[in-house]
Amino acid sequence: MVKVRIRLKQRKPNRSLSGDITNIVILIFFGLFFALPLIYAVSNAFKPLDEIFLFPPRFFVRNPSLENFQDLFILMQQSWVPFSRYILNTVFITVVGTVGHVVVASMAAYVLAKHKFPGRSLFFSIVVASLMFSYHVTAIPSYLIMSFLKWIDTYYAIIIPQLAYSLGLFLMKQFMEQIPDSLLEAARIDGASEFRVFWQIAMPTVKPAWLTLVIFVFQNLWNTTGGTYIYSEELKTLPFALQQILAGGIARAGVAAAVALLMMTVPITLFIITQNNIIQTMTTSGIKE
Amino acid sequence: MKVKPKRRLTLEGKKAITGYIFISPFLIGLAVFFVYPLVQSIIFSFNDLEVTTTGYKLNYVGLGNYRRAFLVDPNFRRVVVEAVTQMITDVPLIVIFSFFAATLLNQEFKGRALARAIFFLPVILTSGVIIAIENSDMLISMARSSFEEEATTGAVASVVQALELRRLLMQSRMDPRFIGYITGAIDNIYEVITASGVQILVFLAGLQTISPSLYEAAIVEGATGWEKFWKITFPMISPLILVNVVYSIIDSFTRPTNQVMQMIMDAAFKESSYGYSSAIAWVYFVTVMLILGVAVGIISKRVFYQE
Repeated sequence: MVKVRIRLKQRKPNRSLSGDITNIVILIFFGLFFALPLIYAVSNAFKPLDEIFLFPPRFFVRNPSLENFQDLFILMQQSWVPFSRYILNTVFITVVGTVGHVVVASMAAYVLAKHKFPGRSLFFSIVVASLMFSYHVTAIPSYLIMSFLKWIDTYYAIIIPQLAYSLGLFLMKQFMEQIPDSLLEAARIDGASEFRVFWQIAMPTVKPAWLTLVIFVFQNLWNTTGGTYIYSEELKTLPFALQQILAGGIARAGVAAAVALLMMTVPITLFIITQNNIIQTMTTSGIKE
Repeated sequence: MKVKPKRRLTLEGKKAITGYIFISPFLIGLAVFFVYPLVQSIIFSFNDLEVTTTGYKLNYVGLGNYRRAFLVDPNFRRVVVEAVTQMITDVPLIVIFSFFAATLLNQEFKGRALARAIFFLPVILTSGVIIAIENSDMLISMARSSFEEEATTGAVASVVQALELRRLLMQSRMDPRFIGYITGAIDNIYEVITASGVQILVFLAGLQTISPSLYEAAIVEGATGWEKFWKITFPMISPLILVNVVYSIIDSFTRPTNQVMQMIMDAAFKESSYGYSSAIAWVYFVTVMLILGVAVGIISKRVFYQE
C-alpha cells in the first residue's frame, strides 16, 4: 500500500488536471452505455408486480418493495429437492472447473511458450483451429462420446471438456512468452524442479493473466444449465432450477427480475475482488542486466 | 578396464519430456472433445443422418450436401459474404476501442475496480439465464423491436444522418471506401462497444504485466508520453493484440446472433438434417480459417516477444 502511494506522488507532476478530467468524462460517457442495463435490472427487481406491467414501462422503480424476493423464497421452499442442493451443485462445478482449467491450461501454455520440443508448433495450430468450433456444431458427436465414456448424468461431462478450453491456453501462452528466460534459468540453476519453476516463478509473474482467465471460466461455468447431460434432479444446477421457476410464464415476471439480479451479483462480486487483487507485477524485476 | 558410459538424456531430451508431461492433460482433453467430434462431423457432412431407435444410420450421399449448399440453397452464399463483411468492419473497431478503454481504465483513480466491472457488464449480461429473462422483459423487447423497426422500415432518420455525414466527408475529398467504412462504423457503434468486454480485460491484464521499471527508465531518459506509448506500451502489448484480433474474429463468426450460425443450428435442430448442417458448417469454417490464417500471419510477424 505504502509503495503504491509513493508512486502516485511521484507521478503527479507528469499529469495535468485537464487530462484527468478528459479521461473521466470519456469513461463516464462509455460507462453509461454499459451500465444502463444493470441499473435497469436493479430497479426492475424491486418493482412490485403492478409496476412491472405498467404501460408505458418506466425505467426507475417508484414504490420499491421486496415482494419479488419473498416470492422467490417461497418458490424455493416448494421445490422438490432442497434448493441449497442446486446452489451446492453449481458452486462445486464452478470451483472445480475453474481451478482445474486454469492449472491445466497454464501448464500447457508454459511449455508451449518456454520449451522447445518436436510437435510444438503443430499443437499450437490445432489449438487455434479448435477455437473456431463452437459447442453447437459438435453437439451430437460430443454426446456420443459422453455416452461411450458412461459420463452421461455425471459432472465429468460438464467439467472435463471445460478443462480443454482453448481460449485459456492461447491467452496464457501469450502472457508466458513475456517472462524473461533468464528469470527461469536462474531458478533452474538454483536447483528448482521444472514444476516448481512453473508454479513459483512463472505463475506469480503472470498473475494478472490467470486472474483474468478465472473470471472468464467462472462466468462460463456459473451459467451452465447442463441441460443435455444431466438428468437426475439432485445433480441439476442452479441456472437450470431457476429456468424451471421462470417457466411459470408471465405471472413470474417479478420473480424473474429478482433471479436476474441475484444471478449477476456473484460474477460481479468476484470480478471486483479479483480486479482489486491485481497489482502491477514486476515481470522483469529480479533481474539485473 | 573399460567402463561403458551410462546413457543419459541430453538437456534437450529432458526438456522435451517435461514438455510432453506438462502438455498431456490438455492434449488428451483436446483430442477427445475436439478432434474426435471434428472427424465425426466430416463424416456426417458426406452422409444423410437418420435417427433410428437404436442410434443413428448414415446413408452415403457423396458431395450432395455441399452441392446443396452452393447450388440449391438461395441464402447460404449471401449470408456467408455478409458475415465476412460484418466481421471486417467490426474487428478493427473492437480492437482499437478496447485498447483505448483499457488504457483509460489502467490509470489510477478512485473506484477503478468498479469502473472496470461496468465495462465487463455486457459479458455477464449476455449469458445464460440472464439473457433469457431479458428477452422476456417488456421494456427491453419493446426497445429492441423499435430498434428493428427503425432499422427496416422507418430508417429515415438514421439514413439522413449517415447521408449528411457522407456528404461532409465527400467534400473533404476522402477515399469513398474509407467514407463507407466510417459511416458503417457509426451505424453499429453499440454492437462494437458491447462486444469488447473480454478484449478490454485481456488488454488490462497485459498493461499490468508491463514492468514499471521500463517506464521509470524512460522517464529518466526524458521520454515523452507519446514515445513511452509507442516504444514501450505498444510493443509490450503486441502479443495480446494478436490474442484479441483472433478472439474478436472468432467471436464475430460464432456468436449465436450470427446468421450463418443460425442457419447451421436451424438445419441441425429444426429441420433435423444433421448431414447438411455439418456440410455448411465445414464450408463456413474453412472460409473463416483462411481469413484467420491470413490475419494471424500478418500480425504475428510484427509481434514483439521478450527474450
